[in-house]
Amino acid sequence: MFTHIAKWSVLLAALVLITGGVQSVFAADKPFAEKKIVLQISDPDPFKQTLVLNVANNLIKEYGTDGVEIEIVAFGPGLRLLFADNANKGRIQGLDANGVGFRGCSNTQKSMAKKLGYVPEMNPVALVEGPGVVRIVKLVTEEGYTLVKP
Amino acid sequence: MKQALRKMALAAVCVGGVAVTIPVQAANWLMLQGTEPASTAGRAKVWGFIQPEYQQTRGSEIDAGPWTGQRAVFNAMRPDLKADKGFNTIRARVGVRGVGMPIDPKVNYFFLAEFGNNGITQQGGGSVKVTDASVTLNHIPGARIRVGTFKTPGSEEGLQAIHVFDYINFTGATNGLLLERFFNGNGSGTFVSPVAGPGTAADSGDANRPNGSVSAFRDTGVQVFDTFKQGSWEHAYAIMMGNGNGIARGENDDNKETYLYWSSERVYAGSGPRRQGWKMFAWKQSGKRTLSTEGAGEYNRDRAGLGTTYKKGRHRAAFEYITADGMIFNGTDGGAIAGSVSNLPAGAAGKFTGNTDAGGDGQVTASFNVEVEGEADGYYLHYGFAPNPRWEFDVRYDVYNRMTDVSAKERQFKTWTLGTQYFFNRKSRVIVNYEIRNAEAPNLPVSDNANKILSGMDNRFSAQLLIIF
Repeated sequence: MFTHIAKWSVLLAALVLITGGVQSVFAADKPFAEKKIVLQISDPDPFKQTLVLNVANNLIKEYGTDGVEIEIVAFGPGLRLLFADNANKGRIQGLDANGVGFRGCSNTQKSMAKKLGYVPEMNPVALVEGPGVVRIVKLVTEEGYTLVKP
Repeated sequence: MKQALRKMALAAVCVGGVAVTIPVQAANWLMLQGTEPASTAGRAKVWGFIQPEYQQTRGSEIDAGPWTGQRAVFNAMRPDLKADKGFNTIRARVGVRGVGMPIDPKVNYFFLAEFGNNGITQQGGGSVKVTDASVTLNHIPGARIRVGTFKTPGSEEGLQAIHVFDYINFTGATNGLLLERFFNGNGSGTFVSPVAGPGTAADSGDANRPNGSVSAFRDTGVQVFDTFKQGSWEHAYAIMMGNGNGIARGENDDNKETYLYWSSERVYAGSGPRRQGWKMFAWKQSGKRTLSTEGAGEYNRDRAGLGTTYKKGRHRAAFEYITADGMIFNGTDGGAIAGSVSNLPAGAAGKFTGNTDAGGDGQVTASFNVEVEGEADGYYLHYGFAPNPRWEFDVRYDVYNRMTDVSAKERQFKTWTLGTQYFFNRKSRVIVNYEIRNAEAPNLPVSDNANKILSGMDNRFSAQLLIIF
């Protein structure tokens, strides 16, 4: 009996972990959102990293967690924002918990890997898939997002 | 050397291994000066600060001894020692820091140069000196490696960033024991007849002047360090090996300086140099100094200290105790400006100083002195109150006991410093200080020349403007 319960507990825990991960990737799906904003970070300036996170935070304050869909797309030098060891990782985690999506550019990641000699470890909340600029074009032209580049 | 480095690395790994905690970024001096925030720092951040100031004493002259009536070194304005009051741009520093390759946060650098008029630039020629030039490698968890010239892990007053220092002048113990002056001789046998008359500063080249820049609390070498977080506590360590020769100076012997440092801090809030927290720290440095002229030889130089800092809300406080053994900077003869010519007849001068008057004309030249086997200690207490973000009021009491091992040579300096800071914004402020200074030779009668001279130590007024960019 005990073994049976333990097995189900493990399965349940695994399910929670999996759905948690999925939720993180697709956290931007908010059916009641009035606004849809895509924030672009492609600048090497360290201050821009802080700024883009500030803007996301301010948008949530203004419209509420469920009132705005936000996705931060990082490419070029801006991809450093989504590195696993980034000094802002605490803030990124907080925004992720509030439904902000983080998308990294896979082309940039490949380019950086060539220069570094290894693939940089990325923040687990970020989805690194496809070119960043294509993602922005898709969100703006097909899904009604407004592009903001702080 | 290789063996020593291996020992340092081993010790660092042991320390890292014992502290099973999570490495954190910045928020203490070791990290603020030696690392960059991961994956956010730029290739080159230009920064710096400027500190113009005004200082004034009453200008009391020497009251006894061979240099009676001449300018007293302790009442003269730093670093030129030619006036009792005046303006000076004491510090003007420009630096660059960052990561060479922004996508690789594991290697960062720190460069800073001094353009101001002070003990760094005044000595050894040239008007600009590089104070910091270091590279940090962050590849080994728990054991970052910093190589080059940089601030040594030690006293809080020396290690802290000078642009957040709450006062204008250092405490007596820090100034006398830690802001090291480097000499070729001990100053005991450098006296010859001067070429000019009494009261002149016709230095005949034997005033035992420092052979270059003051240490500026820095050294060239290699440091292993890191910081670990445990809940709301942060623990930091550093082990360093250096030349023990300060800045702008190469190695002159095979002796190496070793530095040990530990701090534990309960972090309350904030980040950066003005973070709120309660820190306890202890440090030790040991080495040897080699003199090549008077008193030629190798001498031990040991320094150690412990203390605490507190900052929370409107209150700030600090305490530190410092002890020193060997190579005690012992000021100048008779309280005179080094290089000044005495005004006593032959015989009397020799009696006072214990030095010879080679020319036989009765005059000698004041020199800097070092007590190579002396001992000293000191401490300071600081309290500050900031009623609002614009204003801060500070009070500090510091004691410096010089040459505690020889009763006749012991000198005791006690200073109360009252201070006010007004912040124009987060990066610019004005500081006003008034120092109530007292000094005595506690084991000599009041009528002794030493006490007569020291009783002439004036209070000092200082005002300084600071902008960080």
